[in-house]
Amino acid sequence: MAELTLFHYIAKKTLIHGMDGRIKLICMILFTMAVGFSQKGLDLAVLTAVLLMVYMAAGLSIKRLMTEIRYFLVLIGIIVVAHSFTIPGTAIPGLPVQGMTWEGLRSGLLFGWRLMLMLIIGNIMTGTTSFSLFKNVVEWFLRPVPFIPAARVAMMFSLTLVLIPAIFDQASEMLDAQKARCIDGRKNPIARISFLAGPLLFHTFMRADEIVQAMESRCYSEVRTPTAFQTTPTDWLLLGFTVAACLMVLLI
Amino acid sequence: MNTSAQLRMMVFASLMTALIAIGGYLSFPIPLIPVPIVLADFFVMLAGLLLGAAWGSASVGLFLFLGAMGIPVFAGGASGVAVFLGPTGGFLVGYLLGALVIGWVSGKGKPSSVKDFIALLLGDFVLFGLGIVWLKTVLKVTWAKALGFGLLPFIPGTVIKMATAIILVRTLRPYLKSLLPREDEYRA
Amino acid sequence: MAILEIRHLTHIFPNGTIALNDINLSVEAGEFVVIAGANGSGKTALLRHLNGLLRPTSGEVLLEGVPIAKDLTRARRKIGLIFQNSDNQIVGQTVSEDVAFGPENLNLSREEVDRLVKEILEAVGLSDLACRQPHTLSGGQKKRLAVAGVLAMRPQIIAFDEPFVALDYQGVLQVLSQIVDLHRKGHTILVVTHDLEKVLAHATRLIIMEKGRIVRDGDPARLIGDVETYGIKKPSGESVETMTWLS
Ligand SMILES: Nc1ncnc2c1ncn2[C@@H]1O[C@H](COP(=O)(O)OP(=O)(O)OP(=O)(O)O)[C@@H](O)[C@H]1O
Ligand SMILES: [Mg+2]
Repeated sequence: MAELTLFHYIAKKTLIHGMDGRIKLICMILFTMAVGFSQKGLDLAVLTAVLLMVYMAAGLSIKRLMTEIRYFLVLIGIIVVAHSFTIPGTAIPGLPVQGMTWEGLRSGLLFGWRLMLMLIIGNIMTGTTSFSLFKNVVEWFLRPVPFIPAARVAMMFSLTLVLIPAIFDQASEMLDAQKARCIDGRKNPIARISFLAGPLLFHTFMRADEIVQAMESRCYSEVRTPTAFQTTPTDWLLLGFTVAACLMVLLI
Repeated sequence: MNTSAQLRMMVFASLMTALIAIGGYLSFPIPLIPVPIVLADFFVMLAGLLLGAAWGSASVGLFLFLGAMGIPVFAGGASGVAVFLGPTGGFLVGYLLGALVIGWVSGKGKPSSVKDFIALLLGDFVLFGLGIVWLKTVLKVTWAKALGFGLLPFIPGTVIKMATAIILVRTLRPYLKSLLPREDEYRA
Repeated sequence: MAILEIRHLTHIFPNGTIALNDINLSVEAGEFVVIAGANGSGKTALLRHLNGLLRPTSGEVLLEGVPIAKDLTRARRKIGLIFQNSDNQIVGQTVSEDVAFGPENLNLSREEVDRLVKEILEAVGLSDLACRQPHTLSGGQKKRLAVAGVLAMRPQIIAFDEPFVALDYQGVLQVLSQIVDLHRKGHTILVVTHDLEKVLAHATRLIIMEKGRIVRDGDPARLIGDVETYGIKKPSGESVETMTWLS
């Protein structure tokens, strides 16, 4: 079973780490939109430069980014090839295979580039924001939204992240125990999935029952002490910078 | 719903979300088929069957939300808005509507395996439908190719998962029910 | 007046299991009660009635003379329950957030919550780990965090369900000294355990349960000779004072 690395966040004292989480999220959404709407290679080049600058400022490791991009490169490769072959236009001469077009290649590359930038944006956000801050930010934004119980969503967000490692460990343990009893000798996939998923689900729901009791013991309530956020002038400055960068890219 | 029952459903849904995320890491080989089975969509099916339309889709929605926020819960440890826009993004949205359909169909009236089967069939139809339409749009390929990439290799695995889900639900549903409206609790 | 009083408490689970059968018990403030009994004798079920997690089939639980059913929140604040499996009790994403969970539920002011968290983390010796994710803690640390989460509610009575299970030697020492310390600070302590040798020396009272009933109740030194009759291992020493892992 693969290693589970949910926790990208590394506590550091950088400009980006120290931002008010709410403003950081707005900045990231703005950047995502700018990336999504830009049509020219130049626009994307500017955004890439800006985002890489932010990435460095956040003290995040380029090596980590590379390992993650590797996964996406496959997807992007598929997209580029598919676009090159299917979008009509001028054929690229001098290739061993026929049927690729310049227009297709361009469209595929732009698409891939956008995905890559969105990946970087996501990494900046998760790499500099602890989950609990994340949760508080999400709750803050949901609070005024009608019909969405913000406190409940935040609690579920939190619970899920707390539970993933515990259930993951349990699943790996069960898999190992079954391997030790030669489950690999069984070929019937229904049996194999049932042997893992059945007990896993039972255990998980049993655990749920106890979690509920523990939460009730501690007076669980959806009317809770609200989180305190602090916005500094730096936050507004960074927001201004983001808006300016995005507008520049989109309007010019 | 009294607060205790609501809290319980909430915790169940969170656990389901965790299971869906972990399911992306659990893979099983199937004889004769090159792509291994991954359990994420299996737990999506169970979310619909066990938790019903509302809580089932809430749990899948939370999963998508976590992923969109950049937490690497999608298959292969991927995350972010980029995944939704990539070729497989339609399947993710399909999870949500699939769970909704599964929960809605299986939850009408008295539960039965036949109903579960129809629910899963319809749910997977929605799931793959969305997935393939999006795949075709992103890759700009023909329908035949889209079906060839996005559906054919997954048919055997999906059938196996559906069968397993139907079998497991027969014992899980009564168990869950025994936990749910606890008669021996204080009512708020 | 007794701080905690249980009158004719019977609990029958929906599947028909009689978990508790006419329990009568009265605990004075400041007592240190050890509850022992074979598996399935109803110890956990008893604890879960104290703060209203389970509703009695018949009978009642009184806290300072008032039935807990009148105000469950009050009962849950005043009686803290430490579950056997700390993993299921920890819901915060960081150590300090988990301690804050209870006070936040009570909707205390932010300053008050922060102050409480700081104070309690110091008291249980987890200040240095305040920002750690709970799943990265050791078993003993997790248990202490579970205790911290309960202490943040300012309880008078603290009940531990099998606190030593799944802990290594160091973990047991940490948790045991914490329990003894809480008792010294004036909390009323209930400890459910099979491991009399780890803790009995500190107890002021021993209760033995069997099949949902309290079959023995009294001074540990007087009852220790009988425990094997009820399927509980008797520690090797003769004198109760030696029955502790603290030196
Ligand atoms: N949710 C439940 N539904 C039905 N029966 C239950 C439930 N929980 C416990 N029981 C039964 O109630 C009885 C008392 O259980 P309890 O958990 O209180 O025992 P215990 O003394 O804590 O045992 P252990 O030492 O194993 O923890 C047992 O017979 C048990 O099987
Ligand atoms: Mg027990």
